[in-house]
Amino acid sequence: MYLQSRRTFLKGAAFSVAGVAIAKGVFATDAAAESITSSKFTNTPDSISFYPDVSEWNSFKELDGTDWKRGGIERHGVRSEDNPDGIQVNDYTIVPTVCSNCEAGCGLTAWVNTNEFEKGILTVRKYMGNPLHTGSRGRNCAKGYAVTSQMYDPDRIPFPIKRAPGSKRGEGKWVRVTWDEAMSAIGKKMHDTLAKGDEISKKQIMYHVGRPNENGFGPRVPQSLGIDGYNSHTNICSAGAREGTIQWANDDRNSPDWAGADLIFLQSSHAADAGHYFQQSAGYIADARKRGAKMVVIDPRMSNSAGMADLWIPAWPGTEAALYLYLANRILHEKDRDGTDLVDHAYIKEWMNWDRLMANKDYLKKMVGYGYISKVPTGDSYEDFIELAKELYAPYTKEMVVRECKLEGMEYKLDELWDLFIPAGAKIASYLWRAGAIGHRGGWMNTRAGFLPLALRGAMRGDIGGIGMHHWHEISVAGKGDKATVAGEHPKPTDAWNELAWPPEYPLSTYEMGFMLPQLMMDDEWLEKWTKRGLKIPKSLSVYVPRMHNPLWINPDGFRWMEALKREDKFELTFNLSPTWSETNWYCDYVLPVGLAGERNDQQSTPSKPEQRIEFRQAVLRVAAEKAGWKPKDPTRATLEAHAKFGLGEVWEESEFWPNLIFHHVDPDGSLGVGKYWASKKDPSRCVSVPEWFDEALSLLPKLKSAATKMYKGEEYPVYSYIRDHGAWTEKTDVYKPQEEELEFDGTNYIAHGKKYPKDTVTKDEFGALWVKDGEFKKSIGVDIDGKLHEGFHTLSKKLEFFSEWLTEWKWPEYAVPIYPRNEGEYKKMIHLVTQVHHKEMKADNEFALNTIYRLPYNIHTRSVNSKHLMEISQNHNPIWIYTKDAEKLGIKRGDAVKVQIEDTLTGIQSGYFVAMAVPTEATRPGVLACSHHAGRWKLQDSVKIPGFAHSLGIMSLGSPKVEMTNDGKIGTMKTTEGIHPHKAWQFKEYNKDLDFIWWDGLSGAWQNAVAPLHPDPVAGNHGWHQKVILSKGGPDDKIGNIYVNYENNFKVYKEWRDQLARPLDASDKLRRPYHIKRPVKPSQKAYEFNIKDV
Amino acid sequence: MQEDLKKEQLARVNIYALISRLLMTEVDEDLLKLILKDKNILSFFPVFKDWKKRKGMSNKDLIERYLNVDFTNLLLLHLIPYESFYTREDQMMETGGDNPVQQLYNDFDFRVELDTARVMAGDHIGVELEFMYKLCEAQMKALDDGAEDVVAQIAEIEYNFLKEHLVEWAPLFLLNVKNEAGTAFYFDLANFAIEFILSDFQYLSDLKKNNFKTKEESE
Repeated sequence: MYLQSRRTFLKGAAFSVAGVAIAKGVFATDAAAESITSSKFTNTPDSISFYPDVSEWNSFKELDGTDWKRGGIERHGVRSEDNPDGIQVNDYTIVPTVCSNCEAGCGLTAWVNTNEFEKGILTVRKYMGNPLHTGSRGRNCAKGYAVTSQMYDPDRIPFPIKRAPGSKRGEGKWVRVTWDEAMSAIGKKMHDTLAKGDEISKKQIMYHVGRPNENGFGPRVPQSLGIDGYNSHTNICSAGAREGTIQWANDDRNSPDWAGADLIFLQSSHAADAGHYFQQSAGYIADARKRGAKMVVIDPRMSNSAGMADLWIPAWPGTEAALYLYLANRILHEKDRDGTDLVDHAYIKEWMNWDRLMANKDYLKKMVGYGYISKVPTGDSYEDFIELAKELYAPYTKEMVVRECKLEGMEYKLDELWDLFIPAGAKIASYLWRAGAIGHRGGWMNTRAGFLPLALRGAMRGDIGGIGMHHWHEISVAGKGDKATVAGEHPKPTDAWNELAWPPEYPLSTYEMGFMLPQLMMDDEWLEKWTKRGLKIPKSLSVYVPRMHNPLWINPDGFRWMEALKREDKFELTFNLSPTWSETNWYCDYVLPVGLAGERNDQQSTPSKPEQRIEFRQAVLRVAAEKAGWKPKDPTRATLEAHAKFGLGEVWEESEFWPNLIFHHVDPDGSLGVGKYWASKKDPSRCVSVPEWFDEALSLLPKLKSAATKMYKGEEYPVYSYIRDHGAWTEKTDVYKPQEEELEFDGTNYIAHGKKYPKDTVTKDEFGALWVKDGEFKKSIGVDIDGKLHEGFHTLSKKLEFFSEWLTEWKWPEYAVPIYPRNEGEYKKMIHLVTQVHHKEMKADNEFALNTIYRLPYNIHTRSVNSKHLMEISQNHNPIWIYTKDAEKLGIKRGDAVKVQIEDTLTGIQSGYFVAMAVPTEATRPGVLACSHHAGRWKLQDSVKIPGFAHSLGIMSLGSPKVEMTNDGKIGTMKTTEGIHPHKAWQFKEYNKDLDFIWWDGLSGAWQNAVAPLHPDPVAGNHGWHQKVILSKGGPDDKIGNIYVNYENNFKVYKEWRDQLARPLDASDKLRRPYHIKRPVKPSQKAYEFNIKDV
Repeated sequence: MQEDLKKEQLARVNIYALISRLLMTEVDEDLLKLILKDKNILSFFPVFKDWKKRKGMSNKDLIERYLNVDFTNLLLLHLIPYESFYTREDQMMETGGDNPVQQLYNDFDFRVELDTARVMAGDHIGVELEFMYKLCEAQMKALDDGAEDVVAQIAEIEYNFLKEHLVEWAPLFLLNVKNEAGTAFYFDLANFAIEFILSDFQYLSDLKKNNFKTKEESE
């Protein structure tokens, strides 16, 4: 029938109804269609490179993501007057900022929707990366993208609150106050304290900083007050690794060139899974591996990194030093395939301080005494040193390592390690941080020993693909906007030394012993002891200020913190500068809400590659509003005003808060002489503003200043304008081996680090180091190697210090070279280097080492608690990992509640227990449990009612269960009573329409930190986080999350660790601490003087 | 002659309207009533006209018990009424902006309301036929206005669209419909549509020989 006559179809013309009435009519109006073709939007972008050019950032139009769900422009066109049903176009001001979750400081851009600016509404619709940040390269981890849910957390504290008059701390009664009221009361208290002017008063205001995520502004605050009042969280975080690096290079930490390496050598999952500087580091590690680099992970737990590594070595936690010294032994004794030595002699001979060791016959004799070597070498040549080293490390055999690291059955892994380590030559990148270094007594030696094989192979030279030093790549100028102030100069160091942060038991701590503040404050015996000897230690703090810190929850022995913070005679006035609710807030007098990633103004610098870069975190609503023409009433409070006006609430931040507080309330009449450090040079009637301060601070970077002044010609604050618009600046790339740079000499002066030293004031010692006078002390400024002058490392010898000579003078001579107990006899003698969770302490099948120090890649200790996005991907992911066969032996199955009893191995004292959920797995080694100490948040109430305010304020309702708690000064208990129940969102409703979908109950973690007793390492001062635990199946009353703590016992443990292990200062000591090693917020040389009598 | 041309054009408009509608969504009672009542339309459904099963059954029942079931089977579930399925080597449907038919619509400022059409992409047979209907309608208007150049331009577009798209795949699909049809209605519809599309393509091919000028002028 093909084809019918065409005429047949002519009947179509005679239809009784016209086609138009029959057709479905699926083609839209011209207006809608034109809206597509006339717009730049498309369903199929040419590229997934989604960052517009920076020139478009002030106004970049993009289709609305939520609206897009209706079907995209193909169905609805683009919204316009003619096409009101189309997809909405948002006009974004893209404001660069920096993530404030972990310390990596990855670049962000806040996409601020300005559509309704005229109505007084600005909203950040999303946070993306910042492609101009050369470290993070436009990428972020889950925490970066989750910043929106932190910003518009429905439980955010919307205004300052104060403990209700007449109520006690912890009762949970709050009233609303203004920032001015709070500043007035706090300022007066601070003024009255400072006005006393005596030594004690200079130790009574304490600024206790959590993760700072900025480079220098915070430390300047107490310094400007003339006090020694800076405290930090670092000794629960990083101290062990710092100590090991300081002994080698007098640098805070190392700085690897991941991307250029042939071997990625990781101790723990830090850098690739989480931490310094996760996401950036992980990206460079991925780049290196793509190129063919190998990866080794040494970790008792199979982390994400270990799972992807070429080799996973699950060494027993805390014994890693033995493994590293085994590598050193083989490097010293064996030859390469071509018969040459494996030691990079040319480098070691020039750049290691072996010469000082060989010249120090007294110390060599001591080494003989310690049993390290059999006799004092007859010669002092380099070759003699190598022979000494060979003898010193000969005992670290494969058999010894297998025994010490408990690698029985895994001997082949040591061979594989060798086969990966040697071919990489000097191109080995590593970051010896976190678990191995912080979790243990003697953890610092894991870093110290770990750098030895790397140094012997030449990898510590800081060349391409190797390991440099952190300060080479870090820029700290945030505290240096001094020229913007009336004072015009940096505040002078104080003459006071605060024993509450730097107690005399731990002169080498790296750094403040912040985690033991309540132990010190509540220990009258300790106070009396040191007072009798002549130290002036305050009995109380007049003002205690945690900043983005939750010390009560994150530190060990939490109930002791609770007891202490409740004591108004010890902590007279407390306020927390806190972006979220926290357990600590509950016990403070004021909670002052401060900003997160897009709500603050901070300069940060995060070395994730061999370059010098800064990033700038800024209050994005303020910046977007200012770009749209908005002006604050008070330029020094612009951020606060913008947040209040554009819907975030009365949320402020430190770079405006502190200048206002100090200038207007602490020193209103200038009589204390501290207000001038924050008074604006431009307008002395007010304090300094953000643009004024940061323009001056960032102008210290010459290349940035030059580029900015060209680009923003004629502007008042060109450097600030540059960083405001770009968010990051790379001052110098390819920073390799700066220690080998020639020391500048202009014929008259040596020039080191920008300072001139006349030739006749410089002396050279027998080892080539150049010395100058530094006040009452001496310091070295360079080193002569074979007739050439170099800048050198930051050590006194200006070389890598295999021999830490100053450690011998500071009471720890036996550990002045990398060493680790080689046999059972030495465990006792060298107890300071033996982890408290050593396998010799595990005597029964149910006794384990508990590995607590690893981060979940999608959580940050405390500030992510109420981010619904991060909660969703992390809930029920913090069980206690137990090796499958260990679980079988104990009859433990997946999901069982298990009781984890903590027992101190130094004293045998038990602390109590927490109940956790067991997950048997092959991903932790036999004998070692794993449970990250990041979960287990709690609250006592679901919400608080503020008199006069219409809505009740939810308390961590998306991330924390509710508990019942008892504590009587000795015993503390906690039981979970309810899981997650989202509080009704009365603010940020548009962002929280999905709260009904929350499925997680928050009942998978326990507050294990409260059960943990303090384990201060006697040298580095870090809290040894790992615990020996005794595991049993939970009984019917043991619900996951329950805890029981005898914190009186915990106090005994702390004291024994202090008294049995530390080597405190005594009357023979003249200094508080070695002057040449870092102390954040360094006081004057006078403050270092130590003059006590033995009693 | 001009009147013949207009009659021809009107027929094309109405037939494209009818087959696009029927191949896009289920027939409803009003439309079924119209088909059964209008002898010219019914003449295109010869088997259905005498289909015994429909006798003695209300239109509602006919639709619910037979026609909708068949439509679902033929156009929603088992056969794939999308051009990309027939023309792509991997037999995947192209539902995004890369669909060449979609791009063609965009070029002509046509936008398909996919949700109204209840289809997943613009290359659905019903949508393509409705596109032809829209072109024919525009051509009709041009004819009424005496804009001969426009008439020729549109005819060329129609020719190209049929050649590059509908003729490439629609007959194949409609043969499948014809084979799979469980009702006389969709059997006839498939047959009718094949015949018409091929016939219309022949018509436009003839026009092409005269550079798409109307027969009147060419003669």
